[in-house]
Amino acid sequence: MQLYHIALNNILRRKVKMLFVLLGLLIGIATMVSVYGVVEAMRTEMTRQVAQFGANVIITPDAGELTFSYGGITLPAVLFDVEQLTGEDVAAIENISLREAIRAVAPKLLGLAVAGGGHLGDANAQNVVVVGVNLQQEFMVKPWLRLRSAEEMQSDEQNTPERSNVPAADTVPEEEKEMDFAMLDLAREDLTRLVLSDEQILVGSTLAATLGVMEGDLLTLSGQEFQVFAVLKDSGSAEDEQILLNLSAAQALLGRPEQVTLIELAADFTLGSEEVLLSQLREALPNVEVTSLRQEALRRDEMITRLVRFGTSVSVLILFVGMLVVGLTMSGAVRERTREIGVFRAIGFRKSDVAKIILLEGLIVSVLGGMLGYFVGMAVAYYAGPLLANMSIQVPWRLEIFGLAVLLAILIGLLASIVPARQAAKLDPAEALRFI
Amino acid sequence: MAEIMIAMKQLTKAYKSMGDEVQALRGVSLDIEKGESVAVMGQSGSGKSTLLSILGGLNPPTSGSVEVDGIDVYALSQEMRADFRREYLGFVFQQFQLIPYLTALENVMLPLTTIRKSNKEKREIAGSVLCRVGLAGKMNRLPNQLSGGEQERVAIARAIVNEPPVVLADEPTGSLDTKTGDEIMALFQRLNQDGLTVLMVTHNPDNTRYMSRTIIMKDGQLCTDKAELLQLVSAGKR
Repeated sequence: MQLYHIALNNILRRKVKMLFVLLGLLIGIATMVSVYGVVEAMRTEMTRQVAQFGANVIITPDAGELTFSYGGITLPAVLFDVEQLTGEDVAAIENISLREAIRAVAPKLLGLAVAGGGHLGDANAQNVVVVGVNLQQEFMVKPWLRLRSAEEMQSDEQNTPERSNVPAADTVPEEEKEMDFAMLDLAREDLTRLVLSDEQILVGSTLAATLGVMEGDLLTLSGQEFQVFAVLKDSGSAEDEQILLNLSAAQALLGRPEQVTLIELAADFTLGSEEVLLSQLREALPNVEVTSLRQEALRRDEMITRLVRFGTSVSVLILFVGMLVVGLTMSGAVRERTREIGVFRAIGFRKSDVAKIILLEGLIVSVLGGMLGYFVGMAVAYYAGPLLANMSIQVPWRLEIFGLAVLLAILIGLLASIVPARQAAKLDPAEALRFI
Repeated sequence: MAEIMIAMKQLTKAYKSMGDEVQALRGVSLDIEKGESVAVMGQSGSGKSTLLSILGGLNPPTSGSVEVDGIDVYALSQEMRADFRREYLGFVFQQFQLIPYLTALENVMLPLTTIRKSNKEKREIAGSVLCRVGLAGKMNRLPNQLSGGEQERVAIARAIVNEPPVVLADEPTGSLDTKTGDEIMALFQRLNQDGLTVLMVTHNPDNTRYMSRTIIMKDGQLCTDKAELLQLVSAGKR
C-alpha cells in the first residue's frame, strides 16, 4: 500500500466526479491542441502555397523614376530603352550560392506586335502584347496558367460559325501547316510536355476571342506568321490578353536580340532566408532592381497571427474554466471526504501525506486528461480542421505536442489541486471525526 | 511498582459553542499503567470523547499535559505528533470508519502506507493481523461486503497493525448486537492480555466486565462518587 494506491482507488470509486474533472481538463487541452494543430497545418499549407504561388522576386532594369505596371506590380519603365537586362543576367542568377532556394527563373521579353494585317495602320490590324518566355519556367512562376481543354475548344468552334469573316484569321489554307493535335492533347494533360517551336504561339483566352482565332489557326504578327498552338484557359490574369511565345522567337520578332525585359523568380524561403537570397542576387546583378513580393506572404502571415491570437485566447479561457472545474470538483470531493481524511490523520498520516494524496489524484486525472485531450484535439483538428480552415490541410501527429499537452494538463491539474490539497491538509482531525 | 503508560495532568479543555464558552474538561488527572485496560463511562457531553481525542494527540488541551510512554504529546510539532500517533497509538473509531473504496486488507495496511516497507511485507503483516482477529478468508472484501462485527474486526486489526503499545477505542460496540459486541470485547480482552494497554469509551456497562478498570466522567471531571461507580460496575456484571 502506497499513497498512490489510495489516490487511484478513490478515483475509481468516484468515477462520475472524476469524469467531470477529466472532462474539464480534456476539453481545455483538446481545444488547445486542435487550435494549435489547425493553425500549424494552415501555416505549413500557406507557406507551401506561397512557395507555389509563383514569382515572389522580380528583377527589373535599374530605370530611375520611370515606371509602369505589370500584373499589378509597379515596375521601372522597361519598355523604354533605358538599361536592358540580357541573357547574361539570367546566367548570373545560376551562379549564386543560394540557387537551390530558387525553384524557377523566368526571364521574359515584353513588346507590342501588330496582329492581323501587315501594317499597324491597317483597318484589320490590332496591337497586341507579346511576351517571350521560357515556357516551362513561366508555368512554374504562374501555376494558374492552363491550356484550354478540347471541349472548350469545340464549344467555341460551334459558337463562332462564321469564322471565315473574322478579320484577323489568316487566309492561308490550314492544310499547309498541319496542326499536331496529338501533341496538344499531351500538353493539355501534362504541361511539362509543352514545347513550342519558334513558329508557334499561345494566345490568351480574351485575346483569342477578340482576334477570332483558335487552336491550329494561323496568325500574322508584325508580318511574321505563327501557328496558334493552344489557347490559354481563362484565368482572370494579364495573360488572358497576351500572346506567349518562345523567348528567342520574341527577341527575333521584336528585333531585340538577347534582351530581357524582366526576370521573375519563384523562391522557396523555407530553404533559405529571404534577406540572404536578395543580397546574393543584388551582389550578382549590381545594376538591376531586385524586388521582393512579400506583401502576399505578410498578409497571410498576419491573418494566421490573428487566428493564433484568437485561438490562444479561446484556449486559455477554456483551460481556465477547466482549471476552475477541476479545483471546485476536487474541493467538493475533499469536503465529502472530511471523515476519511480525519481517519488518515488519526492513524498517523502527516499533513503532507494527505496533501500528496489529493495532488496525486489531480496528477493521475491530469495525465489522463492530457493524453485523451491530445487525441480528441487531434481528431477534431483532423476532421474539422479542413472545414474550419476552409483549405485542404494535413494535421501532423507530433510527439512534442503530445508531451506538451500532457505537461500542460499536469500543470493545470496540479495548480487546480493545490487549494483542495491545502484544504485537506488543514482539516482538524478531531473536528473531522467529531470528537469535540 | 507498575510502569505508567499514560499520564494525564490537570487537563482542561474549553471551546466555543454558539458564542458560549463550554468547559469540556475541568482538570482531569489520570495515570494508566502499562497493560491496563480502562473503560471510560459517562453520559453524553460528560467529556469522554474529548478526553480520548486529547489523549490521541488530535486535540490540544487548553491546559495540562499528556504523556504517553514518557513522551509529552503536545510538546511535539503537528507533523511529529502524526508520527507519534502512528507509532504509539491505535484508534478504533465509532462506526468503524473504514475507507469504503479499500478492501479489508488495504484498510488494515493503511497505517503502514507511510513507512518504508515493501508492498509484499505490508501485505504479509496486514494479512497476519487479519488472521489474528479471525478474518482470514475475507481479506479482499470491501467494507460494504462485511457484517458489522467483521467491519469492527477490520477496524481493530487496523488499530494494532503497527503494534502500538496503546489502543484507544471510542464506542467500539455501539452499533453491534449484544452477541457480536461480546465477541469484540473478548477480542479486546485477548489483545490486552497480550500486553496492549487499552482505553475504551463506552456507554455499555456490560463492557466493563472485560476491562481491568472503569472510570466515570461527569461534567468534564472524573467522578469520585464510589456509590455511582459501584452501581455501574454491578450493572455490568449482572
